[in-house]
Amino acid sequence: MLRLVLRGLATRKLRSALTAIAILLGVTMISGTFVLTDQIDRAFVQIFEQGNAQIDVVVKDRPPFEDQQTEVYLDADVVDRVRDVEGVALAEPFLQVQGYLVANGEQLVSQGGAPNFVFSSLPQAMNPYTPVAGRLPEASGEVAVAKEIAEQGGLEVGQAAQLATQAGARDVTVVGILQFGDGTTSLGGSTSVIAPLADVQAWWSLDGKASYIYAKAADGVSEDELAGRVRTALDDPGLIVQTAAEDSAEQASELNALIGRLIRFALLGFAGVAVLVGAFIIFNTFSITVAQRTREFAMLRTIGASRRQILGTVVGEAFVIALAATLVGLVCGLGFAWGLNRVFELVGFGLPATGLRMPWQTVVVCLVVGIGVTVLAAIGPALRATRIAPVSALRDGAAPPRGRLARLTPVIAVLIGVLGGAALAAGLTQDIATEQRLATLAAGAIAIFIAVAILSRYIVRPVVHAAAPPITAVAGGVGRIAAENTGRNPARTAVTAAALMIGIGLVVFVTIFVGGLRESFTGAIDDSLESELIVTAQGFGSPLPAEVLPAVRAVEGVAVASPVGGTPAQIGPGTFALIGVDPADIDQVYSFDWEQGDDALIAQLGADGAVVEANVASDLGVGVGDSIDVVSITGATATFEVRGLYADEQFLNGVTITQEALGPLLQSNATGINTLFVKEAEGADSAAVQAAVEAALEPFPTAQVQSNAEIKEQIESGVNQLLVIFYALLALSVIISLFGIVNTLVLSIFERTREIGMLRAVGTTRRQLRRMIRWESVITSIIGGVLGVLIGILFGWVTAQGLEAEGIVFILPVGTLLLFLALSIVAGVVAAILPARRAAKLDVLEALQYE
Amino acid sequence: MSTTEATPAPPARGTGDVVAATDLTKVYGEGESEVRALDGVTISFPHGQLAAVMGPSGSGKSTLMHILAGLDQPTSGSVIVDGTELAGLNDQKLTLLRREKIGFVFQFFNLLPMLTARENIELPMRIAGASPDPAWQDTLIDAIGLGDRLSHRPSELSGGQQQRVAVARALLSQPAVVFGDEPTGNLDSRTGAEVLQLLRRAVDEFGQTVIMVTHDASAASIADRVVFLRDGKVVRDSGRMSASEILDTIKTLE
Ligand SMILES: Nc1ncnc2c1ncn2[C@@H]1O[C@H](COP(=O)(O)OP(=O)(O)O)[C@@H](O)[C@H]1O
Ligand SMILES: [Mg+2]
Repeated sequence: MLRLVLRGLATRKLRSALTAIAILLGVTMISGTFVLTDQIDRAFVQIFEQGNAQIDVVVKDRPPFEDQQTEVYLDADVVDRVRDVEGVALAEPFLQVQGYLVANGEQLVSQGGAPNFVFSSLPQAMNPYTPVAGRLPEASGEVAVAKEIAEQGGLEVGQAAQLATQAGARDVTVVGILQFGDGTTSLGGSTSVIAPLADVQAWWSLDGKASYIYAKAADGVSEDELAGRVRTALDDPGLIVQTAAEDSAEQASELNALIGRLIRFALLGFAGVAVLVGAFIIFNTFSITVAQRTREFAMLRTIGASRRQILGTVVGEAFVIALAATLVGLVCGLGFAWGLNRVFELVGFGLPATGLRMPWQTVVVCLVVGIGVTVLAAIGPALRATRIAPVSALRDGAAPPRGRLARLTPVIAVLIGVLGGAALAAGLTQDIATEQRLATLAAGAIAIFIAVAILSRYIVRPVVHAAAPPITAVAGGVGRIAAENTGRNPARTAVTAAALMIGIGLVVFVTIFVGGLRESFTGAIDDSLESELIVTAQGFGSPLPAEVLPAVRAVEGVAVASPVGGTPAQIGPGTFALIGVDPADIDQVYSFDWEQGDDALIAQLGADGAVVEANVASDLGVGVGDSIDVVSITGATATFEVRGLYADEQFLNGVTITQEALGPLLQSNATGINTLFVKEAEGADSAAVQAAVEAALEPFPTAQVQSNAEIKEQIESGVNQLLVIFYALLALSVIISLFGIVNTLVLSIFERTREIGMLRAVGTTRRQLRRMIRWESVITSIIGGVLGVLIGILFGWVTAQGLEAEGIVFILPVGTLLLFLALSIVAGVVAAILPARRAAKLDVLEALQYE
Repeated sequence: MSTTEATPAPPARGTGDVVAATDLTKVYGEGESEVRALDGVTISFPHGQLAAVMGPSGSGKSTLMHILAGLDQPTSGSVIVDGTELAGLNDQKLTLLRREKIGFVFQFFNLLPMLTARENIELPMRIAGASPDPAWQDTLIDAIGLGDRLSHRPSELSGGQQQRVAVARALLSQPAVVFGDEPTGNLDSRTGAEVLQLLRRAVDEFGQTVIMVTHDASAASIADRVVFLRDGKVVRDSGRMSASEILDTIKTLE
């Protein structure tokens, strides 16, 4: 039987190859994803291990609740108590903040959102950085920089530069150029500057604070032992004492949860789509080949092959193709990961790199998925093959019998569709964990795709009949034949089109969804803001220096500059933003969308009043008149009375109190000003005011000034970047579905060889034949495109309904949708190239005599 | 072309040779395995004749027909169809020549399964982007006697009906010549006779020219001319023959 399988594959090379590609591309994506995320994982681990290589014990603050976005600090003088512990050879406070160098007029910042670190200097014995030129900073005003920044900015030892700090720009001198660890680890685009502890404390309003206390053990004392001793000596539940190994593992896994998991989740999602599309194609290919081989199977049955052996041949063929494709796909995955690295680099988001490796788990997953999906997709057609009666060998044009369930197919399909719809609805509305939600949504979407794929066979004939006259008008007589050919085997056309439908559907969905997301941002700017300029701090979540406020207020042409700031706080069981506004003038720059209450409330908030965003209030289960207890990240507590409710998912999405009430809840380095909303004076020249504000903020390089239009542009370009990534990843699925069209066409041309010979004999030119095939392809791709657009709109609409509370709106980008339809036509034309060429190349006589 | 209702107009064609072949050879393979399928065949077919080509299996009948019809190229020799020399025509020109001047009736698979009988009849003209002469079409449709089955698909027609549809299709464009490769080879003798009758009428009433390959002596006996091939050579070329004369000739050839 195996010989038969291999022989069969060899004689159907093109078919086998096209099927293999469908599997191969999906597997490539899966394997590439794992290779890439494995690389990121290992890089993070390596970064933190190298960072902690010189130390043994880490002491850090234990915040009252977990909030990964917020850095917390402990008192630096804890170090004195650590130093007293027996077995501690060396102990130092360490501080890490965000900031960057400005040299030769250039801001030496990371590209693509990686952090810009400033670290306090540690003695060399504990420092992961070692100078490759110069030395570590000692005196105030000295800094050393990582060699990557030195290269970026052309820095040399002895050079004067400025350090952008929270207190504004500070003059510094570069005294050293450093390498991290052994110098081989890429830090993923982040930048690092090292300055003396006292400078960092002073310039970031963190006097007496440290991020960590690092300790090094004396000879003969183990990490674990030392950690135990320090823990006992400190005896403080507000502090965490860990070994360096525990700390680096924890940090790596936190960062990985933030970045690696996100990338893996997203990429695997797209890989799943590719595999799904591949499954459709495999199913179709095997259905067609089984139909074409009816006589062969019947003949095998007459000479005594059992049903099981027939099943074995078909499934065996699937297995061999899948195995080969998966193995190649695994290898291609390395290339895919390499390519993704380059892409991330190109968009300025260099991933931390340590070299690519193929973890064995990847091999297992890919083999299971690749072979599993293929064999599963082939099993239906294989079962059909087993039902072929031996007598079919004697009949020409015999087809495998329809399955017993064939009559029930539409009912089953509708059922699957309904279940899918229910899953979508549940996924959108039920209160479940994100992963569960995504899984439910994915299952729902897949079910709907399958249902539509099955049901669409019933629309193929009507569509083809409706399309025949216009196509005939354009393409002449062969257009008519093309239309008829497409309608000849509706199930086949439907599944082929469905493969494309999935890709196009998701492209449309993503477009609509991301468009809604963008609209929710930009719409909020139009709806909520009365101000024209926004001042924010560069660096994720960093506060603006307090001096920024008077500086901006003093600018001529500025009518109002109103500060907004916040801190994460634990309220009830969850973490929410506690937002401080200036009651004197917030209403001039921001318009509250009141559900309960009015602007007059703001002036009367006082020290214990709060107005709450409506969704937050419903999450908290509070209404006007209720009181809420908050615990800030510093552990400070306060109680507020809810006075009003408003809607806003963008700017003030949390519990809003006065700046005054917020102050005591902030960390020492927080100024309470994360954003300044700036309103121009009546009749002022906007550009001039913006320029004046920028000039006034020159001493504070971290402060950036943007007009509302600029912010919208920034959102727009961010959204477009996101879309490009989504499109690129979905393109793979569309490409796979093109192979599906190619495959179906090639197989059907093969089936119709004699017919094609006849057409040529009676005067069909090669050109006309190519045109005919092209139209068959285009009709299929249009069906796929239209179904895809419709299903994409449906998904987009459903999602928008489900996420209405999140501010997601539903907009139909008609122009873009038409573009996608046009693209699906192009796809059809492209897919037809090879099959059309093959058909046209057929020798008339040989085709006529083809058995 | 103007026609009255009752009398179909014979197509306006000259009376000379519609098909003329000179010294045709066709060699398959090389050296040891060389097969001379045609070996110096010179033959011409005048307008308005029903000719039958006979001969034992492998004698080169199909090869001859394919070459005359521009479906295949001879190794040497020349073919002129309705005044056009085929040698040197590229695929495009050959195709257009077949489209305009030649009709085909094959033994099997003449019809597209997804088109109705009527659509199949119109197929070559539709491909050519021409519209058939309605009067001529009516005449033909009348002649094949399919009645209300015209809107049926081939799978719903008998073998004889299918072949008659194929004949009508070949005739609709009023080609210079219609070739048939064993057009009745797949039919029983009665339905075969109906198809032959149709071809006969095409020549007699409609002034067409038909060249058909056949194995069947009684089929050949309705032809105006019977050509016998053996080993790629014309061994006998005679006028009308009776079925028994034909059978005798075949015996002498074998
Ligand atoms: N494509 C081909 N390749 C090789 N030999 C061929 C080919 N076509 C026909 N022949 C040979 O040419 C000879 C004539 O064939 P053919 O014209 O089909 O005979 P007939 O139709 O009279 O049975 C036969 O010997 C046949 O084997
Ligand atoms: Mg023959």
